[in-house]
Amino acid sequence: MAIAPLLFLLLIALPLGAQTRHALDLKSFDKVWSTVRDTHWEKRPGGLDWDAIGKEYRPRVEAAATSDEARTVMREMLGRLRQTHFGIFSEQVYDSLEDGDGPSGSGETGLDVRPMEGQVVVVSIQPGSPAERAGVHLGWVVQSVNGRPLEPLIVAARQNPDIHVLQLTRSFLARLSGPVGGQLDVEFLDGRGERVPLRLGLAAPRGELAEFGNLPPQRVWYEEKRLGVTAYVRFNVFLDIPRVIPGFGRTLQGCKPCDGLVIDLRGNPGGIGGMAAGMAGFLVEKTNQKLGTMYMRDATLNFVINPRPDVFGGPVAVLIDGTSASTAEIFAGGLQALGRARVFGTRSAAAALPSLLTRLPNGDGFQYAVANYISQDGKPLEGVGVTPDEEVLLNRRTLLAGQDAVLDRALVWIQEQKGK
Amino acid sequence: MSRGGAWAAGLPSAESLLDRYVEVTGGKAAYENRKSEVAHGTMEFVAQGLKGKMVRYADASGLYRMTMDLPGIGTMETGVRDGVAWERSDLMGPRTKTGAERAESLREAVLNSISLWRQLFPKVETIGEETVNGEECYKVAMYPGEGNLETLFLSKKSGLAVKLTTVTSTQMGDLAAEILFSGYKNFGGILTPVKVIERAAGQEISITLDSVEVNAPIPADQLEFPADVAALLGKQKVN
Repeated sequence: MAIAPLLFLLLIALPLGAQTRHALDLKSFDKVWSTVRDTHWEKRPGGLDWDAIGKEYRPRVEAAATSDEARTVMREMLGRLRQTHFGIFSEQVYDSLEDGDGPSGSGETGLDVRPMEGQVVVVSIQPGSPAERAGVHLGWVVQSVNGRPLEPLIVAARQNPDIHVLQLTRSFLARLSGPVGGQLDVEFLDGRGERVPLRLGLAAPRGELAEFGNLPPQRVWYEEKRLGVTAYVRFNVFLDIPRVIPGFGRTLQGCKPCDGLVIDLRGNPGGIGGMAAGMAGFLVEKTNQKLGTMYMRDATLNFVINPRPDVFGGPVAVLIDGTSASTAEIFAGGLQALGRARVFGTRSAAAALPSLLTRLPNGDGFQYAVANYISQDGKPLEGVGVTPDEEVLLNRRTLLAGQDAVLDRALVWIQEQKGK
Repeated sequence: MSRGGAWAAGLPSAESLLDRYVEVTGGKAAYENRKSEVAHGTMEFVAQGLKGKMVRYADASGLYRMTMDLPGIGTMETGVRDGVAWERSDLMGPRTKTGAERAESLREAVLNSISLWRQLFPKVETIGEETVNGEECYKVAMYPGEGNLETLFLSKKSGLAVKLTTVTSTQMGDLAAEILFSGYKNFGGILTPVKVIERAAGQEISITLDSVEVNAPIPADQLEFPADVAALLGKQKVN
C-alpha cells in the first residue's frame, strides 16, 4: 500500500531514559533486526538466513565503542539485504528532517522549494500567498529562515546517502512553516545575487481537511486549469477520494475538446495506493490492464484498472521530480509502462513501497519497507523510481525568467501529437 | 486442535450437519417464508481505523445490493441483478464480475442460501473436527459447481456456523479468507449472526448488524442498476 509516506506523520518518539547509550544501541539493533524479520515481504529477507545475520552482527554492536560505530554496523547489516529503502538516520539528522528545527504549526508562506545546484531554490509561489504579496520571485534562493541558514541541511544530505530529495525538501518546507498568523524572517538571494531580507506571514494552509482512518486529518487541494487548449491538473496528495476522484472525472468530462492533459505530480508524496488505479480508469480504454503488482508476505495484489464508461483518449503528459513518491510513482510508472502517458521531469523519489519510518530506542530513525512493488513493465519502483521519458531539469536561469521548463516541454510534446 | 483425514470416517455426514444447521437457525419453513430482507449495520476496517455505515438489500428473486459509506473513501456498492454481478465505488468506478468471482457473488446473493445448500453445493463432506474460539466444531467442506471450496465450521453443541474459510476471488487476486460468525439473534424466525469478522491478507473487516427487517419492501431505486453500472453495461453491449 502506497499510503506509507503519510505514515511519516505518525512517527512515535521514544524518549531517551536513564539507560546507558550502549544499552540503547543494543535495543535499537534488536528492533531493527526483528522488524525486518517480521515485516519483510520475503520470509528469508533478501534471500538471507536472517537469524544467522543477527548472530553475526549483534556481537559487533555489543563491541561498538560509540553510537556512530553501532549505527555503522546496523547500516552494514541492512546493506546485506541489497534492497534500498532500508535506512538508519542518525538522531541529529532525523530530528532536523522531522521538524526542520523550526517552529511547529501548519501555517504556510506559499513557497515551494527544491534543492538545486547546492542551493534551496523557489520553484513555485502560491497566488495570493504571503510570499507572493511580499514580492518573492521564482528562482530566488532561500538563504536562511529566522537567522538559521539552510545550507547545513544540504551538507548533511550530501554526507548521508539515505537522505533523498524528498526528505530534504520536506525539511526545507518544515523550516518555512509555523503557527498560522505568525511570521518568518527569510533571507533570499535574488537573480542578481543581492540579499533580500523579507518578513513573510504564515497563512492558513491550502485545501480542505480530509480524514482517512487513523491518519490525522490532512489538507487536500485539487487544482485544474486550461493552458491554451490543454488541460492541466495538480493535487497535493492522493487522499480524499470523494472529492479528488470525481473532480478528476469532471475535469476530463469538461475537456473533451482538449488536445491533451498534463498531470503535475511534482511535490505529490502519494497517499492511498488504490487511487492510482482508480484515476487511471479515466485514461485507459483497454480492459484487463494493471499498473503493477504489490507483493506482500501473505498476499499478492494487482493494481487493476477499471476503464470508466467515458475515457479521455488524448495525449497525457505526467510531470514528476524527486518529491513525487509512492502512489504518484505507481501512477506515473504504471501509465508509462502501459504506453498511456509520457513522463517529463526528473527521476521520482524511488519510495514506491509501503515503507514506514519509526524511531529507535537510541533516538535514531529507522525506515523500512514492508512490500515489494513491481510496475507493469516488470521493473521495481522501490529504490529505482520512475525514470522520465524526457529528463528535463529545472534551473535557476529559466525560473528567474518565470518559466517552468518541465511544463513547457510537456506542452510542446502535446502539440507534436496532433495528427499522429 | 485439528483432526482430519482418516478420522473423518467416524464423523457425522455433512448432509446431516447442514440439515441440522438449517433446523437450528429456524427450519425450512421459516426460510421459505422469508421473501426479502433489509439489514442495516456498521462496517469497520479495524487496523486502519475506518468505520462507516452499511445497508444490505436482498430478495428471493436474486436481487442483492450492499452499500457502504466510509469517511474519506466514499460510497462502495456491490450487487447482483439479472445474473449480473457488479460493483462500483468512487475509488475504482463501475465494473462487472466474471468467472469464479461472479459465481461467488451470485451464491452470496441467494437470500436463503443456508436452506438451499443442496442447490449451491453439489458436493459436501465432513473432513474433521476443530476447536474455534473454545467451541468444538465439525469441519464441512462444501464444493460449489463453480468457484472455490468453502469450509464451514459448525458447532457440535449448537449446530450453528462459527467460522468459514475459503479462498475468495477478487479482481486484485485470490485471497485466503477467514470469516467468523457470532452473536446470533432471531430476525423473522431465523437466527442470524449480528457480528461477522472477515480476515484476509492481514486485514480485518468487522460488520455489526444493527437491524434486520424480514419481508420489508425494498426501495424501488435499489432495484435498478446504479447509473454508471448501467452505462458500463450499455457500453459492453455495444462492444
